[in-house]
Amino acid sequence: MANKKILIVDDDPDVRHGMQVRLQANHYDTFFAVDALSSMVEARKHEPDLMILDLGLPAGDGFVVMERFKIIPALAVIPIIVVSARDAHANKGRAIKAGAKAFLQKPVDTAELLAVIRQALGEPAHSQKPVVYDLGSK
Amino acid sequence: MNEKPLQVLVVEDNAGDARLIREMFSKERRDSFELTHLSRMSDAVIHLANGGVDVVLLDMGLPDEHGLDTVRRSLAAAPDVPVIVLTGLDDEELAAKAMKEGAQDYLIKGQIESRALPRALRHAIERHRLQTEADLIRTHQMQFKDEFLSHVSHELRSPLTAIYQFVTILLDRLAGELNPEQHEYLEVVLRNVEQLRAMINDLLEVTRVQAGKLTIELQCTSLSDAIAYSVNTLEGAAKTKGIALSSEMECRLPSVCADPTRIRQILIILVDNAIKFTPPNGTVKVQARMFEEDPNFLLLEVSDSGCGISPDMTERIFERLFQTSDDPASAGRKGLGLGLYICKELVTRQGGRIWATSALGQGAVFSVTLPVFSLARLILPALRKERRTEGSITLVVTEIASPTGWLSDEERAEHSHGVRDLLQRCLHSDQDVLLPKMGSAGAAELYFIVAVTDGIGGEAITRRIHEQLDGYEYIEQAGLTVSTSYWSLEAIKRNLGESMEDFLDKVAAKIQRLINEANSSRMVEDG
Repeated sequence: MANKKILIVDDDPDVRHGMQVRLQANHYDTFFAVDALSSMVEARKHEPDLMILDLGLPAGDGFVVMERFKIIPALAVIPIIVVSARDAHANKGRAIKAGAKAFLQKPVDTAELLAVIRQALGEPAHSQKPVVYDLGSK
Repeated sequence: MNEKPLQVLVVEDNAGDARLIREMFSKERRDSFELTHLSRMSDAVIHLANGGVDVVLLDMGLPDEHGLDTVRRSLAAAPDVPVIVLTGLDDEELAAKAMKEGAQDYLIKGQIESRALPRALRHAIERHRLQTEADLIRTHQMQFKDEFLSHVSHELRSPLTAIYQFVTILLDRLAGELNPEQHEYLEVVLRNVEQLRAMINDLLEVTRVQAGKLTIELQCTSLSDAIAYSVNTLEGAAKTKGIALSSEMECRLPSVCADPTRIRQILIILVDNAIKFTPPNGTVKVQARMFEEDPNFLLLEVSDSGCGISPDMTERIFERLFQTSDDPASAGRKGLGLGLYICKELVTRQGGRIWATSALGQGAVFSVTLPVFSLARLILPALRKERRTEGSITLVVTEIASPTGWLSDEERAEHSHGVRDLLQRCLHSDQDVLLPKMGSAGAAELYFIVAVTDGIGGEAITRRIHEQLDGYEYIEQAGLTVSTSYWSLEAIKRNLGESMEDFLDKVAAKIQRLINEANSSRMVEDG
């Protein structure tokens, strides 16, 4: 079975890179975008199964991205997980309302991120043991 | 002088008093004041709303409004226009109340010195201007502080994210094997990342406390979920330290009126602290039961076998930035000293109390009380604010139940949204459907309460609601009609399978019928 494709939209190159290493280790193919415009271009090009979206982006924030994706049928079907450093109290409800499947606060716990991704992709929870460091094992 | 004349609105229904006031201005230069005289509050409100008035001279006994409401209506129509009230000789007490409502000054009829009147007007305008300016500056400062802190926390979280990501990548050996020493050092980094993350969150929370922006959404909520959540979350940390973490709950405890996410937050802080201050092989226990001193409250206790708190410190620990002095069990790092302060704010804002009992070396018990859920408690503030004396408020209660008596936030949101849509279809478009929260209420015809119950049947809840509402004068004054309708989440799901539209139409018709019945029975009573 081909790997699922995830588009990572974040303007911080280190965060993008870290996310890429983690997701590839969990058998996902990853692509990048850095702002509202490139997220649309990359989403068209790669037809991802899921998008991980930061809110604080240059030239149009994550909410703008969600608005634009919503009106284009080909992009509207892509499930979105918002991963943001912005305050959860002020932004979680708004993000969910805008169509996001989940809002995760940075720095996001790896196990939680993988669980939410699997859920959004409709994958069974335990189909594959996630590659994640288990704090309980020490 | 090129300045425009000051526009004075005189609202006075007594022709004699009005003439007196006009005469007092006759000695002033004609280009310094311009008087408009109206004798009804309703006309004054329209005039004020049109703008252009600099100051209002307001009689507090008008044909269509009386007392403090004259001031309220004037300020509601034009918040920027200062009001001076005109009162009778024996009404100084009322005048003082008017000042509390926002009037700038009061003048006693019959004792107004003609030279003093223009001066009083100018003073009122000037004072009002200074107040408005000060308010504006304060608002800007608060806004700046909020924006600054939210910006800073955002900027701190981003690099922290990258550190967390790559440390865990190394620990998970995604970049190759580690020797034991490397592994150990990276674990130290990870622990500190976690501390930094918690501190940033605490900082933000404290800013919210101080700005009065702590969001608390009271609802009918069960303590057992919060206890299970906190114990699950911190089980790992307790195990690592060799501490036995356990919980105990009296069965069939009633629900509390609280914010479930805030209860979880409170418990996490208290249990985390307990683990921190308890030496290895100790115990930490979370308990919930009825509060013996007051049956309207539940008691939540977090007890530990740790080093305890000296009696003179049991109150001070809730102060902001308080930290314990040298304490071997907490091992060096102390945090910001904000946890218990946040806890206290959260508990108090939910109508409860928090205190600690302890003796040095004998462990500590943190006790939290939370009000038992009562529908009356939830809607009383709203009704009081409305102060309705006519018309009616219809209360539609819907029960959401699930086999476990527990709903996820998503399910709850989804369901509330659906029901709100539904109710709006039953009403005229200008009516509002309100999900009441303590302290917030608009002018709504219909209060809609979502009660999450642990499987208590429909009849029992109706009885409970009626019992709770019985004897509250505000509710009687408001002419409240209670209608209850029930459908469980399961029923909705089942029915949605057939046809969403049909199902909604059916329920809409049912609610409309309930509302009609309530209205017609009231009409019979009125007639």
